[in-house]
Amino acid sequence: MKKYRIRKKTKKIIRTDKTRWSLNPDFEFFNELRNLILKSSPAEKDKMIKKILGLGRVKLAVTSGIFLENTGSDLYDTVADLFIVGDDISKKKLRAFLVALEAEVGKEIKFTLMDKDEFQYRHGMFDRFIRVLLEGPHEKIINKLGL
Amino acid sequence: MSSNTLDKLFGSRVRVKLLKFLFRNYPGNFSVQELSKRIQEPVDDIKKELSLLDKLETIKKIRN
Repeated sequence: MKKYRIRKKTKKIIRTDKTRWSLNPDFEFFNELRNLILKSSPAEKDKMIKKILGLGRVKLAVTSGIFLENTGSDLYDTVADLFIVGDDISKKKLRAFLVALEAEVGKEIKFTLMDKDEFQYRHGMFDRFIRVLLEGPHEKIINKLGL
Repeated sequence: MSSNTLDKLFGSRVRVKLLKFLFRNYPGNFSVQELSKRIQEPVDDIKKELSLLDKLETIKKIRN
């Protein structure tokens, strides 16, 4: 009898934890709230710039995709959400930065890192990745290369 | 607009983070544990905000 009761209790706890949540499309202000929430930039730019500069000798940082102000239509076809060019980048700091940034943004971030030499070589030869990124909608949040 | 403005307007950073996450991943549905992992906030704080948003009918439970 006792055993049965314990088992029943355990089952109940597991079931509660399985509750899944989603937005209610019938919410009175669903569209208004959506516009307001998505209008805000996914991460604070000033804070982001400061953290990126702390990663190493950063020469260029470009944001695109998820970081551009949008109306909710996601730009999935972007080649990179965040692109950093720099030397002596601390891998440990970079990893921590990306984990925190993904938590803030709420989505996986497409990220690319290049050192300065590789970037300048690729830029000079009209590399497809660089061209697509810099010719599409983007923002250079750090630019010490005079691009 | 900085997200800080919304935090202050709504009076809760976790609430704004939750709404941001849910709108960005709409119509996805998530458990408390998944939300905690994805937005890096404690389970208890998330439960508190979910219960408030549930009362307002901003969010709803999805039963499998």
